[in-house]
Amino acid sequence: MGEVLVGAAPAIVSGRKARVQAAAPLIAGAKSLADVTRDVCAPVGRRPGAAWWAAFLVAVAALGAGAAAVAYQVATGIGTWGLNTTVGWAFDITNFVFWIGIGHAGTLISAILFLLRQRWRTSVNRAAEAMTLFAVMCAGIFPLIHMGRPWLAYWVLPYPNFRGPLWVNFRSPLAWDAFAISTYFIISATFWYVGLLPDLATLRDRAKTALGRRLAGFFSLGWDGSARTWHRYELVYLLLAGLATPLVVSVHTIVSWDFATSVIPGWHATIFPPYFVAGAIFSGMAMVLTLMIVARTVLGLQDYITVGHVDVMARLVIATSGMVGLAYLTEFFTAAYSGNAYEQFVFLNRAAGPFAWAYWTMVACNVLVPQLLWFRGVRHNMALVFVLSLFVNVGMWFERFVIIVTSLHRDFLPANWAGYTPTLIEVATFVGSFGLFFTLFLLFCRFVPVIAIAEVKGAMVADRHERAPAHAEHVP
Amino acid sequence: MANTYWKSLEARDRHPGRVPDNEAEHVQDADREPSRRDFLRLAGFSAAAIGTSCSRAPVKHAVPLVVQPEGFVPGATASYATTCQGCAAGCGLLVTSRDGRPTKVEGLPEHPLSAGGTCALAQASLAGLYDNRRFRRPSIEGRDATWAEADAQLTGRFDAIRKAGGAVRVLTPTVHSPTLRQEIEGFLATFADGVHVEYDALSASAALDAHLVTHGLRALPRYRFDRADVVAGLDADFLGTWVAPVEYASAYARRRAVGSGHAPMWHAQVESRVTITGGKADRRIAVAPDEIPALVFDLLAAIEGRGTAGGDVAMLAERLLAARGRALVIAGSQDLDTQIRCNRINAALGAYGATLDLDRPSYQRRGDDRAVRRLLDEAAAGQVAALVVWRANPFFDLPDASALARVPLLVSLAERPDETTAAAHAICPDHHPFESWGDSGPVAGLLGTCQPLVRPLGETRGVIETLAAWRGRPAAAHDLVRERWRAGVWPRQQEGTDFERFWSGSVQRGFITLDAASAPAPASSAPSRVPSAPARESAAALPAPSVERPRPEPGALTLVLYNKTSMPGGEHAWNPLLQELPDPVSKVVWDNYAAVSPAIAARQGLATGDLVRVETEGGALTLPVLVQPGQHERTVAVALGYGGLVTERFRDLGRHWFRSRPTVGEQGRVGVNAAPLLRWREGRLEREVAGVRLVRANGRRELACTQEYHSLAVPAHLVPAGTPPRPIVQEISRDALMRPDGAAHGPSHEMADLWPEDHPATGHRWGMAIDLDACTGCGACVVACQVENNVPVVGLDEVRRNREMHWLRIDRYYTEDDDGLHMAHQPMLCQHCGHAPCETVCPTLATVHSAEGLNQQVYNRCVGTRYCANNCPFKARRFNWFAYPHGEGTETLGLNPGVTVRTRGVMEKCTMCVHRIQEGKIAAKSAGTRVGDGDIRTACQQSCPTRAITFGDLNDPSSAVARLSHDRRGYVLLEELNVQPSVTYLKIVRQGAPTSGETGAAEGSGHHG
Repeated sequence: MGEVLVGAAPAIVSGRKARVQAAAPLIAGAKSLADVTRDVCAPVGRRPGAAWWAAFLVAVAALGAGAAAVAYQVATGIGTWGLNTTVGWAFDITNFVFWIGIGHAGTLISAILFLLRQRWRTSVNRAAEAMTLFAVMCAGIFPLIHMGRPWLAYWVLPYPNFRGPLWVNFRSPLAWDAFAISTYFIISATFWYVGLLPDLATLRDRAKTALGRRLAGFFSLGWDGSARTWHRYELVYLLLAGLATPLVVSVHTIVSWDFATSVIPGWHATIFPPYFVAGAIFSGMAMVLTLMIVARTVLGLQDYITVGHVDVMARLVIATSGMVGLAYLTEFFTAAYSGNAYEQFVFLNRAAGPFAWAYWTMVACNVLVPQLLWFRGVRHNMALVFVLSLFVNVGMWFERFVIIVTSLHRDFLPANWAGYTPTLIEVATFVGSFGLFFTLFLLFCRFVPVIAIAEVKGAMVADRHERAPAHAEHVP
Repeated sequence: MANTYWKSLEARDRHPGRVPDNEAEHVQDADREPSRRDFLRLAGFSAAAIGTSCSRAPVKHAVPLVVQPEGFVPGATASYATTCQGCAAGCGLLVTSRDGRPTKVEGLPEHPLSAGGTCALAQASLAGLYDNRRFRRPSIEGRDATWAEADAQLTGRFDAIRKAGGAVRVLTPTVHSPTLRQEIEGFLATFADGVHVEYDALSASAALDAHLVTHGLRALPRYRFDRADVVAGLDADFLGTWVAPVEYASAYARRRAVGSGHAPMWHAQVESRVTITGGKADRRIAVAPDEIPALVFDLLAAIEGRGTAGGDVAMLAERLLAARGRALVIAGSQDLDTQIRCNRINAALGAYGATLDLDRPSYQRRGDDRAVRRLLDEAAAGQVAALVVWRANPFFDLPDASALARVPLLVSLAERPDETTAAAHAICPDHHPFESWGDSGPVAGLLGTCQPLVRPLGETRGVIETLAAWRGRPAAAHDLVRERWRAGVWPRQQEGTDFERFWSGSVQRGFITLDAASAPAPASSAPSRVPSAPARESAAALPAPSVERPRPEPGALTLVLYNKTSMPGGEHAWNPLLQELPDPVSKVVWDNYAAVSPAIAARQGLATGDLVRVETEGGALTLPVLVQPGQHERTVAVALGYGGLVTERFRDLGRHWFRSRPTVGEQGRVGVNAAPLLRWREGRLEREVAGVRLVRANGRRELACTQEYHSLAVPAHLVPAGTPPRPIVQEISRDALMRPDGAAHGPSHEMADLWPEDHPATGHRWGMAIDLDACTGCGACVVACQVENNVPVVGLDEVRRNREMHWLRIDRYYTEDDDGLHMAHQPMLCQHCGHAPCETVCPTLATVHSAEGLNQQVYNRCVGTRYCANNCPFKARRFNWFAYPHGEGTETLGLNPGVTVRTRGVMEKCTMCVHRIQEGKIAAKSAGTRVGDGDIRTACQQSCPTRAITFGDLNDPSSAVARLSHDRRGYVLLEELNVQPSVTYLKIVRQGAPTSGETGAAEGSGHHG
């Protein structure tokens, strides 16, 4: 079973990509295919170590704090947040956009890079997809609990009802949001699960307990490893990748419309969709780096998630950093060029108003700090890349905070101007979302192969074929 | 319909008056047809009985009326005329009642003084009726008693005093009710030494004394702003707090209105602190309080052609003299010499008989500080045997009232517990004004009636009846008032020969006017026994005041104690509606503070919210600082009326959660009582204390302010250089307005429109016009809206978090030019945009557009995403952050049954009183007519003393609002967004030469900060 090759079509290797990949083998350590199975499945069977338990307890504690905060807020009222008449959204929607953005890297890696035959993705796509799934879960919580009456949240979905029937407002970006997020979650979950099927079968075959065998057997949907199964699996996976690809662009575009379709200066901008998509990939890549660098160390997967992988992702980070930096500049240019005093005020107020500290934190973390990644030495220093990725995570959170809060807190009528300070409940809820994310991610590390075994093997084989002398003439 | 008001005719046949307390109120004579009024009483009582746990028997069987009383429709509203007793101004009210429950106070449109306007206080007065913490029954020495017991005990004590020849004093604020004066004097006449002492917390004692000196009559003249072309206010906040603000504001606005046919009124205000009167003035001159006497001295000299004054005084004198006979000078000073000089100025200007009417004087202030001083001295000397206090709270208001505690018998007739009832031996609670019969005579030649609107909610008794009982002639208030009118008013009228018809007509109308010549002053009490016929004398014959020019003390800091427009005195401090009404100038709620000028704040390193000790010779207070632009540098202003016992009720106000802070301060009360700093001088209470020191204290108290930024010019470092102030409040010069070539209001840009015109408003299209030139910022509309629409009071903590719920707020912007500080007040409410940004973004269609142009919020469809509020350019939407409480016990009876009470988590906002629109449409349909212009009036419109708000049908070209929406002064806010607001604002008119760059349309001429 473990030795079955992936029946992927021969890779179409363009010159440039081949050069990149020729520099170092995809998987280090001259692994045999059996080694791959053994290495990746090892953490699943093993009893978790102290580090895992410590991390898990911290995550669960954070989740508990968040759950308590949400319970208190739902029982008492949104008034337990620091919002006011002028600033109607702050931490809630900031966190929502932040988490949705995180998810995008997973979809990018799993779908777009799959269609582009980027073989290096196989080492990280499983974890990245899991990250997407958990991030979308975290993101989805915020639109629910930010409602004044969350128990009626289902009203934002069009469903047959006896109230007229009463439909949702199809003109509202929030209704589009409901479609976009639910679609995103369903596709991501399906994609992840389908990709997991061959590996679940591997787990089934390696299971030491009857329960493990039965569970893995159930979830692998009777995978038999036959050519027909493989054929259909490949087809479905390709189709799902095709379906997921537009989501990379569409979901965050729709999220950006939450702001862009409004009349509020600082929100009402046509640049928002590309700006948000670039920012989403930027933040997602940073989060993938954060998680992968930890995972390869803790789970001993250095041979699978190599310095080469980190290098490629760091390049993506610096590319998207440039895009968001350009967007920041463009916003100022648009405001200056518009001749609209309200628009001009909003951006000067961002840079020099009461929330200037947040703005400059954002610029420093998102534009200045990532410039270090131009240096190969930095990209290959795992500790440094890890720290840099944390900066980007912080910066991208502040980007959403700046967009939402600074635009709202001082809009058209100066009499409305107000401030915003988060309460303990909001902070706890935010921390709780990290708790949920890491709780799920740690459970994922514990119970599911964090690397797509079957895909890695396929990529390995293809990689070795290309490196074989018989194929050398293909490399210019 | 609110406009059809009527009064029962049954009342004249029967004598419903007051039903004796021991009568079982649920028993009706089987053979007697219940009158409508009886039914209303019972309905009101039943509702009260459900809400309260009073000792009366509960209603066991609800039986529908077999014979419906004539004209009674369950659920329909009826309005009754009465007179406001919130202060002594005597404004006319129409109280809307539904099923026997008064739910809304409105102005009486025909009333000669208030002309349909009200102040915030009147709007908030219903809260007093339903107040859960009122006294429900009398008590003696802290023990509950029945009225029979109380009367027996007290008449026993009074008899003993009569026998001993002891002195009895009745302490009240200004009383201009003829019947009550008669009862007070009748009661006092039974004693050898009985004196009625009147005392006003906001006293005009010096002005009254000055008229006694100069004109031989201790009364205020009637100030006729409607006849004045030049007005000089000298520290008299006549639009905000001084004597009768509604009457004055109404006349002032009429005279200043564009198109009134008069020459434009020019108004200069000389003041030390900042008032809304100064903010409206064409010219505001900031002076230190102690400079005003000198300024009046110089002004008199200049007017009389003696002095060689220059500067502002010469300019004022020139302006006043140019308008001889149409000029008016008002001084708010408590300095007798200054007031006498002010009278001489007015006499020299020919104001008496023109802009000052002393033939028909005002009785709106009668308080005599010297009599109060005498009372305190007598009490200290142990010469007072009994003191009866009604509606006054000397233990709170006076700096040194402790002597009154030595009076052997202190009886309070207060409605609710305060400092005086705490010291009183007996408490005999008065009715709320809406529970009792009464009358009023605020100015000569005008008498108002007060009628009960609901059966008393507790076992209280009207003051008239209480005094009648104590003088040994118990009678129902209705009978006493009626007899007083039969004896004292009936002979002086010319309306007819049938007293019953006259009486019921007067009660129905709410007031009568009498020929002034036949109007003697109401029977006057001992301290102000003056000739009743006003003696007008020539200026030359006026007694000369002291000839020395008063000397200001440069450099000395003066404390000014004042009353806020939103909180006219400590007697109203129990009222949460007023406590949460932003001060029109500072926009602070729920606290008093030491207002200092920016210069002092900079010098002493003080910021708003820092605690300071205000130290005077008579004591010190620790208060938070408020930095007040425009205030004179040598002035520290502190509001009176705060820190009273009545505010302890707010300890648990609002919604509690683990980070919420109480509405009350550390002492358990709202604000700090500044009355101990008042000073007696020459027998008058001085509200200005010279030689104070400001000492920084440790700590801060964050003030709850509904507005954080106060100018339309944004901070200079946040806009490119040369950016003009935002055109939110626009001005136009009178000259530009008068130019014939000025364009009418229309869109200044071509607007592209993405929406198809597929929803034409073919029927009504409701809209509003708000005249920024007329608005004084008084806040009556804010409270009117709050009461009408069941908007909750949220408490200090929530306001601090910028979560006040007022659907209608008044934005105030400062601007400063050569004429001093100006204030623009902009009532801000849902603009009911044609292209409403809120409507497109709601995911659940909870906010939609009506076929009549209204933006409607569907509360039960709202899930509370708050996107609509974020996307509102005016931030006019309000979110229910918590389940805000709406009061307890009887307090919920005051809710308007026509308006839904909103739950937690939903958005709400101005509906343009859609329930009133529906009522109006139904009424028109029933009558088979069209809704006429002015038939439907919103709550805010109804309350406005200056008629700044006009509501109506924009599709009706003849309607006032349609005309105003195309007025040359009209503009809509943020026109470039093309949200198409239904609210048109009318530009402020500035007098004087047009400034450069101002065009006829004056687009974009905003305020400069």
